[in-house]
Amino acid sequence: MSTIVHMDLDAFFVSVACLENAALRGKPVIIGGFGDRGVVSACSYEARAYGVHSAMPVKLARRLCPDALFVRGDFDRYSYYSNIVTEIIEESVPLYEKSSIDEFYLDLTGMDRFFGCYKWATELRQRITKETGLPISFGLSPNKTVSKVATGEAKPNGQLKVDDGTEKKFLAPLSISKIPMVGEKTYRLLRSMGVEQIRTLQEMPVQLMERVLGDNGIVIWKKANGIDNAPVEPYTERKSISTEMTFDQDTIDIQRLRNIIVGMTEKLAYQLRAEDKVTSCVTIKIRYSNFDTHTTQSRIPYTACDHTLIARAKELFDKRYDRRLLIRLIGVRFSHLVNGGYQIHLFEDNEEQIRLYQAMDKLRNRFGESAVRRAAGTGRRQ
Amino acid sequence: MALKFIVSSSKILKQLQQISGVLNSSNPLPILDNFLFVIDKGMLTASASDLESTMTTQIELVEGKQTGKIAVPAKILLETLKTFQDHPLTFVVDEKQFNIEIVSDNGKYKLTGFDGDEFPRLPAMSGSKSLELDSELMAAAIGKTLFATGNDELRPVMSGVFCQFSKDGLTFVATDAHKLVRYRRTDVTSASEGSFILPKKPLTLLKNILSTEQGKLKVSFTDNNAFFEFGNFTLTCRLIDGRYPNYEAVIPTDNPNQLTIERTRLLNSVKRVSIFSNKTTHQVRLRINGSELQISAEDLDFANEANERLGCDYIGEDMEIGFNARFLMDMLNNLENDSIRIEMSAPNRAGILSPGENSNPGEDILMLVMPVMLNN
Repeated sequence: MSTIVHMDLDAFFVSVACLENAALRGKPVIIGGFGDRGVVSACSYEARAYGVHSAMPVKLARRLCPDALFVRGDFDRYSYYSNIVTEIIEESVPLYEKSSIDEFYLDLTGMDRFFGCYKWATELRQRITKETGLPISFGLSPNKTVSKVATGEAKPNGQLKVDDGTEKKFLAPLSISKIPMVGEKTYRLLRSMGVEQIRTLQEMPVQLMERVLGDNGIVIWKKANGIDNAPVEPYTERKSISTEMTFDQDTIDIQRLRNIIVGMTEKLAYQLRAEDKVTSCVTIKIRYSNFDTHTTQSRIPYTACDHTLIARAKELFDKRYDRRLLIRLIGVRFSHLVNGGYQIHLFEDNEEQIRLYQAMDKLRNRFGESAVRRAAGTGRRQ
Repeated sequence: MALKFIVSSSKILKQLQQISGVLNSSNPLPILDNFLFVIDKGMLTASASDLESTMTTQIELVEGKQTGKIAVPAKILLETLKTFQDHPLTFVVDEKQFNIEIVSDNGKYKLTGFDGDEFPRLPAMSGSKSLELDSELMAAAIGKTLFATGNDELRPVMSGVFCQFSKDGLTFVATDAHKLVRYRRTDVTSASEGSFILPKKPLTLLKNILSTEQGKLKVSFTDNNAFFEFGNFTLTCRLIDGRYPNYEAVIPTDNPNQLTIERTRLLNSVKRVSIFSNKTTHQVRLRINGSELQISAEDLDFANEANERLGCDYIGEDMEIGFNARFLMDMLNNLENDSIRIEMSAPNRAGILSPGENSNPGEDILMLVMPVMLNN
């Protein structure tokens, strides 16, 4: 049997802001853009009490909580603190996975005999809070899914242990939205079927889930039953980056699809440059309304330039799409990534363009990755 | 009556080996796997062709007064010739059946050739312009430029070397869009003006024959073909069709930052540091601070890292610029001077390498390399 701990820094962005500015402590704090058109990227528990949550338009958040203190995000500080926490974890455990800037999975399998896993994890949690000043919560269970759900239940600033054999019982009364993987769309679909608690999912036959949600249905059903064999994977360099989008309603609006591809490609290209990488393979994924999924890819000389990647992505989409069926999902992926800068081309690139990219990236580094975008890529997404 | 001639094995081997560079390992036409032998007035004229380029050479016969032609399978002939020390060989050719019999002291060897009339004909060179050059000059021009040509099938013009002759001098340019070399000679002029793009393969062949001896090279060209005569060799090749990119427009002229440094020291440093760079991008970082040049590279996949400091002469603002180390090494290897100069303006604009002090005032070498965008 495995013992997996999931650790998650509580309201990480807000905690960092409070650490840097003690005046924010105990107040409703909202991190996000200043304009009315921005969205909330994080908020403190005090602000959550007013109904504010992340991804909510700033305008609405301000109406819900007029007293909230607005703070601009500072990604350099976030990664600085995230790295300190990572260092502490790295010197404490032999095997860990950093799954995002503020989340970690630790594999403590076999350690209970010597230390007592729960006691050990409690001490680690105290040490992190003591050394960094950041509140952190953890969940301990035999697998990743249950631990992650347990962390969610333990928050804020808490800890929770789910013993082997009690996973199903622990999950049963919770809302299905607590299952990782159940996003807004799946949640609404399941709710429309009358499923609210995880208990109902546990009692449903797996075949029904498969019929409704395909292969994902099986995975969700397993998670609902506390079954998850995914190993804790130590951090590795990403060999590809991708993004995809499922539409609320299947669409055949080609112009909109092409615009979305432009937006997605632009966003990924920025990520490439931010990570100091170049790609040599572009892939486009199309899922039709009947779940037929097609991908098509093309090799290119190493690049991280918007115009090359966008042109290629659009070309691939036009080639792949046969214009008869509604589309449910589209995605873009860059693979064969290597570390390095873009080799400037003598004849195709000009200085204005290079400088434009550098200026745009500067804006994005400072104000977030959607600070500037191509007009074509800003179209309505939903 | 059979066509008969006697030739020295070592002499014919040496000449045939020179022209055998034209032969491709696989050919669309079987006839291209052969040498064309034309016998006339005691001379053997041997040709090899790949349709694009044709090379011929003349070999003096020991004996042979007849006239005729035959296509001889190249591979089998070369292999046979290699086994002989200097030895007279008698060829007896049946021009109707295309049977070839080679007779040595040791015995007889029979093989079947092809009709010599099937061999591709050389293009007519009517209306051509021509000039004469020192073989050394042409060898230098090819040597300095060939490495910078590209391989992109979508841009065929860049796979060759652009040659421009005028009364002001000669210019040779090669680029693969990331690096560019411009080799100029003002000490030689051409009465006839013209320009053309020579493909890589004939240039390599030409370089090989030019290295055998010194002498005068005669160059003739029409709109579609070029013709070279050197010693007892001739080379005819088809030119690359298309417009060469406007290279002058991309050479920056205002480069306030000038670095002067010993060539071999820089080359060795870049070589060493690049071992620790990413295996795909070969990216190295040059940081110039006052009179110190710092070269660094890293490969995050293997946690490899290298850093070197060199003294240099530098005029200009402190700067940091990234290059593909391969390009830098190619260029530094193809310069011969003790010291070289690198001119730069900004991290996203080209770096220009040139000899620090030029021993030959008639020679103007410019090597340009585009940087990689660095993320700071």
